[in-house]
Amino acid sequence: MDKDYLWDRSGEADPEIEKLENVLGRLRYNRAAAVFPEIPVRVRKSILARLFQVPWAPAAAVALLVIIIAAVGWLVRPKQVALGPAWNVTKIAGTPRLESKPIHANGGTAKLGLGQTLETDSQSRANIQLDEIGTVEVEPGTRLRVVRMNSELKRLALERGTIHASIWAPPGQFVVDTPSAVAVDLGCAYTLHVDDSGDGLLRTTLGWVGFKLGNREAFIPAGAACRTKPKVGPGAPYFEDASESFRTALFKLDLEGGSAKERNAELTTVLAHARQHDALTLWHLLPRVDQSQRSRIYDRLNALVPAPEGVTREGILRGESKMLDLWWNQLGLGDISSWRHWERSWSPENGVAK
Amino acid sequence: MASIGDRVDVFAASLGRGAVTNLSVLATTDDSPLVSAAQAGDRVAFGRLYEQYARMVHGILMARVPLSEVDDLVQEVFLVALRRLSTLRDLARFGAWLAAIARNRAKDYHRRSVTTVEVTDDGSETETGSGVSGSAGNNEAAVILAAIRSLPDAYREPLILRLVEGMTGPEIAARTGLTPGSVRVNLHRGMQQLREKLGRWRE
Repeated sequence: MDKDYLWDRSGEADPEIEKLENVLGRLRYNRAAAVFPEIPVRVRKSILARLFQVPWAPAAAVALLVIIIAAVGWLVRPKQVALGPAWNVTKIAGTPRLESKPIHANGGTAKLGLGQTLETDSQSRANIQLDEIGTVEVEPGTRLRVVRMNSELKRLALERGTIHASIWAPPGQFVVDTPSAVAVDLGCAYTLHVDDSGDGLLRTTLGWVGFKLGNREAFIPAGAACRTKPKVGPGAPYFEDASESFRTALFKLDLEGGSAKERNAELTTVLAHARQHDALTLWHLLPRVDQSQRSRIYDRLNALVPAPEGVTREGILRGESKMLDLWWNQLGLGDISSWRHWERSWSPENGVAK
Repeated sequence: MASIGDRVDVFAASLGRGAVTNLSVLATTDDSPLVSAAQAGDRVAFGRLYEQYARMVHGILMARVPLSEVDDLVQEVFLVALRRLSTLRDLARFGAWLAAIARNRAKDYHRRSVTTVEVTDDGSETETGSGVSGSAGNNEAAVILAAIRSLPDAYREPLILRLVEGMTGPEIAARTGLTPGSVRVNLHRGMQQLREKLGRWRE
């Protein structure tokens, strides 16, 4: 660094600065210190003690205490305990809500009782343990309510969303209402989805499920699915390995109406693509179509699975239910009597959706 | 105004030391241990701090208040510092903290006493008591001091600390907490303006 007398007195002295130093140096402070009083020693008080030195601190502390007590009271308040029997609900993901209250406490578990509603948002999933009869996994975007809960019947109302039900109770003890049909468990595992318009889709993965609205019913075995529409009810079930043409024509024929000409065209497609085990679908279509179409279906079904003794063309065309049941038993899909038994057990006494 | 110095004894005498220490050897000394000891009630340590910082405080005040008031205000500044010492967190910033007290005390002085000091158009003061009287040398000092005090604020303090208190530029920076760069610039610019001003006065 350059010599700089003004800065640090280095280098050759600047005469003018030296003169200023000499003259002004007379004013330099050289006075002894006064005797200072005792030095206030810093007492390291606790944060609380220091806080209370602030004038408004006590009032603030009281207010804070009240808030804390209120918060603790809220946290440990009695939970929304369902009166009577209730099912355990466990959070799987997100924040499911039971009666609009998030399931947080107790490791994300709660009790779902009669009349209560469980709802999941787009990020939430939950599991309902149905005591001794099975479980229901609730997917995101679902809202359901407990309609009935007794030893004979457990009944949910699925307003929207998706559930996976695994039921090991005797057939007919677990029922799910949807906006367009009622699903009756016949000892099975299935997935039931209801969209915002009320349309539904039921897919059976194990056992059987009955789907019903009024006199319109469907029996859905494992591997099959069934669409449903409000005010129409369940469509004819179909095996999910059916061709695209078959399924598309079936939906138009069965659920969308259309002119007679259009319906005949759809029926032609269905019959043309029907395989032997699509007899399930043809059998369901028999009571849903007019006489002329029923005749065409009879012929195709009879070709795939010959009508058993006691079943006549005339009787089928007349829509005789006993003959239909007899033919069903020939399809290799089980005995329909179990369905009829449980159907009587929950309708109309238990108020199946009409 | 009653002098604090009149009301108290000489602290230095009780310590067996001189009033102030030559600052040039202390410029880089870390005062944190002294500050810490003083916070713990060690009056000797506080006396050492006084020795080391009294000139800085004196110079800061001299740049702002009438000379006759400076000595008493120096004592007041140290009394204030003593009372507030326990609130100081960054011990290494003691000098800057003390300088701030001194500057604030000078402001307080001007707020409280508006009748005894009149500032002339050229920035010099007409004091009820100059504090510099007697010899021709003292008169010359008073003239030069008035010239310095007529300079902009930024130049007054470093020039007085340098020319009156005998501190070097690095010492000024170390004691006041200002950056050496700014102290050096202000010293040189202030010196240049002082030369010009003194030259005009001599003419």
